[in-house]
Amino acid sequence: MEFLAQTDPGFWFGQPETMDLRIKVIGCLVFGFVLLAVLLNVPSRWRKYIVGAITFFAGLFWILQFFWPQPLHRSPTDLPANPKEVVSFWLDDAVPVVSDFTSILTAMLTLLGIFSLLRVHLGRLFKMQKDWAFSLVLAIAFVCQATFSLWDYYDRKANPQITAGHGWHIQNYMSDLLFDGMVQQFEAAMFSMIAFYILSAAYRAFRVRSPEASVLLGAALIVMLSYMGVVTQWDGFVKSMAGSNQFLLNFQLSVIRSWIKDFVQTPSIMGIEFGIGIGTISMGLRLWLSLEKTGNI
Amino acid sequence: MAKIIGDKLQSLPKYWLFAILFLVTSIPLFHPLSVPTPPDDGSADLYAHLMQVPAGSTILLASDWTNSTRGDSKGQFVAIIKILADRKLKAAIYSTADAQAPRVARDTIAEINAVRVKNGQPPYSQWNDWVSLGFYPSAEGQLSSIATDLRKAFASKTEQNPATGEQQDVFESPVLQKIYKLSDCALSFTITASKTSDLTVERLLHKTPLVLMVTGVMGPQTQNYYYSGQIVGLAIGVKGAYDLETLMAKGLNVPGGIVSTKIPASAPPLSNQTDVQSIGTLFYPPLQFALWLLIIMVVIGNVGMALSKMGAQSK
Amino acid sequence: MLGEVPIGAQYADTGWFGVAATFMVMVFILYNIVRAHNRHDLFIRRIPGLNAINDAVGRATEMGKPIVMVPGLGQLDAIAVQAISIFTHVVRLAARFTTPIVLCCADPAVYTVAQEMIRDVYLQEGIEDRYDIDSVRFISDRQFAFAAGVSGLVLRDQAAACFFMGAFYAEALIFAETANSVGAIQVASSTETTQTPFFITACDYVLIGDEFYAASAYLSREPVFVGSLIGQDWSKIAIIVAIVIGVIMNTAQIGALKLNQITEAKSDAAYKQLAAPRPITMDDTTMSLMFNPQDDKTWKVERPQKPKDTADKGAGK
Repeated sequence: MEFLAQTDPGFWFGQPETMDLRIKVIGCLVFGFVLLAVLLNVPSRWRKYIVGAITFFAGLFWILQFFWPQPLHRSPTDLPANPKEVVSFWLDDAVPVVSDFTSILTAMLTLLGIFSLLRVHLGRLFKMQKDWAFSLVLAIAFVCQATFSLWDYYDRKANPQITAGHGWHIQNYMSDLLFDGMVQQFEAAMFSMIAFYILSAAYRAFRVRSPEASVLLGAALIVMLSYMGVVTQWDGFVKSMAGSNQFLLNFQLSVIRSWIKDFVQTPSIMGIEFGIGIGTISMGLRLWLSLEKTGNI
Repeated sequence: MAKIIGDKLQSLPKYWLFAILFLVTSIPLFHPLSVPTPPDDGSADLYAHLMQVPAGSTILLASDWTNSTRGDSKGQFVAIIKILADRKLKAAIYSTADAQAPRVARDTIAEINAVRVKNGQPPYSQWNDWVSLGFYPSAEGQLSSIATDLRKAFASKTEQNPATGEQQDVFESPVLQKIYKLSDCALSFTITASKTSDLTVERLLHKTPLVLMVTGVMGPQTQNYYYSGQIVGLAIGVKGAYDLETLMAKGLNVPGGIVSTKIPASAPPLSNQTDVQSIGTLFYPPLQFALWLLIIMVVIGNVGMALSKMGAQSK
Repeated sequence: MLGEVPIGAQYADTGWFGVAATFMVMVFILYNIVRAHNRHDLFIRRIPGLNAINDAVGRATEMGKPIVMVPGLGQLDAIAVQAISIFTHVVRLAARFTTPIVLCCADPAVYTVAQEMIRDVYLQEGIEDRYDIDSVRFISDRQFAFAAGVSGLVLRDQAAACFFMGAFYAEALIFAETANSVGAIQVASSTETTQTPFFITACDYVLIGDEFYAASAYLSREPVFVGSLIGQDWSKIAIIVAIVIGVIMNTAQIGALKLNQITEAKSDAAYKQLAAPRPITMDDTTMSLMFNPQDDKTWKVERPQKPKDTADKGAGK
């Protein structure tokens, strides 16, 4: 049983960097546009059913893949032993193909996002609306990054001898400056800001206003202190005082921290995660069966 | 008077706090300090498992971090690559979280190799020791594909063979030529700052032993997987990188090494001790100073609140 | 060596218990959806964060400032759809009072869906001409570029109300503190439990855990949503019962003082005699073995083989 589970190279395969593959990709794009045009002209009363059917069959594959027994100890030369294994083998072989579909969809949707971004900002730029200067910066950055990165990529592909700092041309310098010099550092700086926000938020919010807040503050202080070098000093002191008294050893910071982590923090998070997990199953089920009436809240 | 002081203590300008934090975290970078803190159980377990993998084995490594979280993740990645290079383990590196991640991984390995070559060590070379399998936008789909059929998941990926200069299938490289399915990989590592840690556990569980290396803020959530036995090792944030560097330098449960009562396995230090301590050791003291400042500011805020209340009551 | 393949061994990779538990959850949810169509007295407790939506929209309307909504950073999945569903309620209220809205998306697919859903809301209210296509924006799919973009937007437009719902990561605190600095009222929820404490510290109202998923039932009272919420609660009760049973069984097997010993242990799906008795560990208990499937490497299923010339060298398990 083939369809999606293409185990042997055939029509649906193409070797990388060949004209055969490029023609097939272009053909699929053309087919996609034709299909889109057909779908746009479908009467609106049928659209709900078409969307529901596609959603159902797309989800059905993964539901079956989860629930259907997986083939046990399958070797590369095995064929299905019974009808149940025919389905098992088909599901197994189809997973990589279906996964490729989702990867392709995700990549196509990225293009859609870029289109939206440019539409908003170029519109603002050409109409000279409020904050148009920021839109100009975005447009210039977009063009420069795309141009120099692609130029650098093809240059390195054609000239593998280009190494870090040797034999560079303008495209290599600019790609390095824009990516490693700017993008990476901006992102690191934004993440670093969180430390400042944590300090100001903790200073503002960690107050002993109620018994619960006191417990929270006490636990936070113990956990923070236990991550510091002070833990070895205090724990050493406790061990020297405790001697053979096992009960007193429980007053070591590392032991108290472990207790908070094992008996308070972890079970609490597990409980929340159970709820979120079941909620996700519920939401997924409603989406799969098209029971979700979004927009009607 | 008490109320005035209390109100002032509660409303210190936040820019002062930011300036103090900047100074306090910068000082240890210029005056390196040593902070003796025992490794976490997850880090010790991770190190023990990795040191027990036979030489020549292949590790599947999901490098799902970029420079935005380099404070946490880069130290972890560098530590792992150094262990792999020292123990002659091979790595197949891919990403499902961020399109920048493969390049960041390559650049970081290039930095490590520059130091290794300078110290007279052989570089951890692409094709022979590691391959880059690229970025895959759909994490759920790609991880399911890896779990089902690893060769099909990375089909058609090519890299340049330095010996011939030709682009060849990655499964012809020494890294992946004996790998047919996920269970052929000795371990699967995920270094991430996003939910790919959860997705990895969901989809790769029971296929091969899993190790997660996450940022500090993801630690509490990820610990659940370690405590339930679903993963065999866990490194959390800067502390995780620091723990690994300490274990790389001293070993675990060996003479002169770090002693762990909860992790019974033993593992020696790295055979080559040159440049073992780097990012984790450098960033851990600033973290300590920042935590001290946090505690001090919380105490100041509460003292201010108490004084304000006392002052209001005395009126 | 050939070994007998036990019934259910085909679930060795997933574990039959996990599959059965998932099926049970699905049955609970679907049954209660059907049940909710016939009953209208099903109770949902008060959720303060959702009650605050009306106040937040009212405040923004009075101040004439925009409402900023962020459905998280994740891809188009159940979490993002749920977030946008909650936002349609917010937008419906805002649309009636002509309050400006801005919905910032970090994923192109979420952006597409959000655009359609928000346009539908204006259509349903009969005020399609008030819909501003630029009120739903794709900012960036880069985490911190998105954080910078949204923060800048909140600061420049002086947002009066901010709703942060969905999958947030490290940038959660950046959003919350920035909105706090402009005095916006904030209602937040993150499905990442590690970000919940940051939201609690900085935001006015926080939906914790599956209160986020309960929101659609709470706001609309549609039978589908209420029924699935009750189904979720039945599933949670089942998990609690399983935990209690597990605690009792493990305590009985291991012993209160952890002194019980065993003479045989399960290894590779079969019980094997131990050389010497040893204390029982958590991995030996019935509950642990139920949740952690075992796979015997000697199991072999007799299958026909591919002809030698067509055997695929690379595929297979």
